[in-house]
Amino acid sequence: MQNTSINFKRQVTIKLADVRLQNALSRLQTRFVGGRSAVIGEINDLQETRTAAAAIRDLVLNDLEHWLLHFEQQATARGAVVHWAETGDDVNRIVADIAAQYGVRTAAKSKSMVSEECGLNDALEQVGVKVMETDLGEYILQLAHEAPSHIVAPVVHKNKEEIADLFAEKHRKPRTTDIAELCREAREILRPTFINADMGISGANFLVAETGSVLIVTNEGNGRLVTTLPRVHVAITGIEKVVPTLEDVTTLLRLLSRSATGQSITNYVSVLTGKKDHADHDGPEHFHIILLDNGRSSLLGSEMQEMLRCIRCGACMNHCPVYQNIGGHAYGWVYPGPMGSILTPLLGGLEAAPDLPNASTLCGACAVVCPVKIPLPDLLRKLRQRQMDRGMKSWQETLMLKAWAWLALHPMIYALTTKIGVRLMCLMGGKEKLLHTLPGARGWSDGRDFPVPAGLTFRELYQQGKHQ
Amino acid sequence: MRVGLFVTCLVDTIRPRIGFAAIKLLEAAGCEVEFPVQQTCCGQPGYNSGDQKSAKALALKFIAEFETFDYVVVPSGSCAGMIRVHYPDLFRDDPALLERFTAIGQRTYELTDFLVNVAKLAKIPGNFQGTLTYHDSCSGLRELDVYKQPRALLAMMPEVSVHEMVESTTCCGFGGTFSVKYGELSTRMADNKCQHVTETHTDSIVGGDLGCLLNIEGRLRRNGDHSTRVLHVAEVLSGLDKEE
Amino acid sequence: MNARDNILGKIRNAQVRTNAQAAATGLHTETINRHLAQHPRGPQPVPPDNLLACFKERALKLSSDVLQAADYLEVPTLLMHYLSEKKLPARGVCWPSLAELPWSAAGLDIQSRPANDQDLLGVTGAFCAIAETGTLMMLSGTETPATTSLLPETHVAVLDPCRIVATMEDAWDLMRKEYKQPPRAVNFISGPSRTADIEQTVTLGAHGPYRVLVILVPFAEITNDAR
Repeated sequence: MQNTSINFKRQVTIKLADVRLQNALSRLQTRFVGGRSAVIGEINDLQETRTAAAAIRDLVLNDLEHWLLHFEQQATARGAVVHWAETGDDVNRIVADIAAQYGVRTAAKSKSMVSEECGLNDALEQVGVKVMETDLGEYILQLAHEAPSHIVAPVVHKNKEEIADLFAEKHRKPRTTDIAELCREAREILRPTFINADMGISGANFLVAETGSVLIVTNEGNGRLVTTLPRVHVAITGIEKVVPTLEDVTTLLRLLSRSATGQSITNYVSVLTGKKDHADHDGPEHFHIILLDNGRSSLLGSEMQEMLRCIRCGACMNHCPVYQNIGGHAYGWVYPGPMGSILTPLLGGLEAAPDLPNASTLCGACAVVCPVKIPLPDLLRKLRQRQMDRGMKSWQETLMLKAWAWLALHPMIYALTTKIGVRLMCLMGGKEKLLHTLPGARGWSDGRDFPVPAGLTFRELYQQGKHQ
Repeated sequence: MRVGLFVTCLVDTIRPRIGFAAIKLLEAAGCEVEFPVQQTCCGQPGYNSGDQKSAKALALKFIAEFETFDYVVVPSGSCAGMIRVHYPDLFRDDPALLERFTAIGQRTYELTDFLVNVAKLAKIPGNFQGTLTYHDSCSGLRELDVYKQPRALLAMMPEVSVHEMVESTTCCGFGGTFSVKYGELSTRMADNKCQHVTETHTDSIVGGDLGCLLNIEGRLRRNGDHSTRVLHVAEVLSGLDKEE
Repeated sequence: MNARDNILGKIRNAQVRTNAQAAATGLHTETINRHLAQHPRGPQPVPPDNLLACFKERALKLSSDVLQAADYLEVPTLLMHYLSEKKLPARGVCWPSLAELPWSAAGLDIQSRPANDQDLLGVTGAFCAIAETGTLMMLSGTETPATTSLLPETHVAVLDPCRIVATMEDAWDLMRKEYKQPPRAVNFISGPSRTADIEQTVTLGAHGPYRVLVILVPFAEITNDAR
């Protein structure tokens, strides 16, 4: 997917003014924030479980090579073919080769954010493979030629009116805004796709090293259909997704569904090991697993390694006041919200996404809900440090910060400067005691007044004995 | 108890009354309060913008001025959090400094936290009358666990009626330089907060961090609300809210 | 050098071990092998007092239907009532293990074969069930085709209550005991398929079944004490 994060500020203006989006975002808040809150108490000791989950992820990340090799060995022993891809283009090429190898003309796809990273659908269309998204949200996006705006609820930004319009146009059926009818319509349209597709493409929420298994969580049933009916199954995911054992993945699942959608468990959890053999009645004859790096390995052993713990639950963006106000598209790439603000610059370069680490108040709401305790505000701050070290900050900002720091290190001059400054501001505020413009700080004063200072500093009043 | 007051740059320059309110409360709790006059800023603005160097310099300045006190008390969750949580992290590679900063960090408290849990203030000097709603500033809440403390103190004032707003713990959109750099977004977040405040139909909105309060007041006034009072919890508790 | 070598090389370089640590790698591999061999559990939920009651409560919460039969032979009658009440057709397919039930006597046309796209009703057993979340665990195989619980609009699972365990970890233990290795597909099913992609409104019946009925019936002569 093309990275348009450079347009962040302009997009913010557009999204803040988009009333339909604003309504959709408040629905998201109700469902996901309220949802998580309602079920997270089912976990006996939440903090202990989060600590255990973080430890499971760190166990793997600290020895990623070992765990990946173990996974590869186990998966291969069960008849899967494991591929390694350095970039998104490599993934596309591998899938295209697999399609050519088996004479694939149509592919049914269940949701995969990694495939969005690669731009897989477009690449396959170019080699003559028709790809149908089957996750309802992704299907709607495919019809509308739009990108997902949330990693779990991809079409959260659309309302039922818009979807009704889309279906009426593309399905050539009478328009309905009844949600159950819209779902039934999508089911009937997509059912032949599952039955007739040559290839199923999925992501993988986790890879279980112990058994060489691919684990997928879904609610709709499309994940099961796509990985059961077609004769070829291709699963694509990032190298960081490996988890040691079935017990470990269970601990993570306990947190994943509750953190993501407020469900005690997702409707379907599929653990897929190897291809169809004599002990099976159904399943793919060929099972291919593609492990994508795309910059993830560069985080290992660095101060950013903790970001690789991410299990893609979406809780951070659901609870982020910035995301709640602008939605996912403004972030400009596959991953929005706090985790996207860190991954996008790390995988795609800071120069392509200079706003993302800075468009945050570091309020910490994300870190509270992250099931694997990623210190998201700290990582955002570290990216800001990188920007400063690389001279990526504007000269105005750098000058302002340096000037303030210098003043603060020189108390006498600080005292004098602040005395003068507050008197000036007081004068400017007049009788109203409010400043309506702040020269050099239009970002504040375009939308807010500034209450004038008292006119005398605490320091000078204290020295005059005011406290006695 | 010898308490060093770290008054914060915003209180010093914009609303000194909060500093005097803090002194009054600390003295009412039996503390001996001093104001080291060379203090300036905790270094948060630079730190959050990625300037570790200046933050370290200001941290070293701070510890030189405050290390000898029994306690350091701060009428701001974000500055107290900077000192307790982030200063030690700045010096994690220097064992000697890490130890000193960890030690002083543990003796550094946000004001209401100190009054409730250390000084155990028994009688509130102020006599605020009316309804108010409380905004929970992010750093105080999430870095220092400040939530119950201001409410416990306000509950000791018989003529104060606290009405909780919807989403009191959601960020007001200040975020330091964020409020200027991403002004539109910040203003929208402030507006959401103001709506929640207005919906409580209370006389005042009270909080523990002046940055948040200036942000909220700025938006209230621009929206045409000139009647809702915006007060620091120290002003309410001390009775200094009555002064001009 | 291929992609595999490149990626593993990058990972190895990122996790450079000092000479001293390299000597201890033997110990390190031992830690990994021990973790695999022992596969320890994470923090566990509080175990329910009554597994059956807990399973039923959670299954109902997730919009499954749950019925209890006194014995095996009652199952077809129960199912017939259920289908009539909901005005659903009385025909479908079942797993071979359930073929001998008196379906036609109850007025049901049930064929013992895997489901195809036209079948509206699929009757299966289940490997076990999980009380914590009201979940069925299905293991694929020649006698337990996955399509029967997936393609039809109605999925009926006949389950012996003694196969209800407390947690997913307990379910894995059971699988390890009874199977040499995991089958091709382990599917955990927690109710009818659903989506909330349109306006965050949960709608039952997406691509999988519209409804799931669990019929609890003791298979053995000896009834189990509720735990």
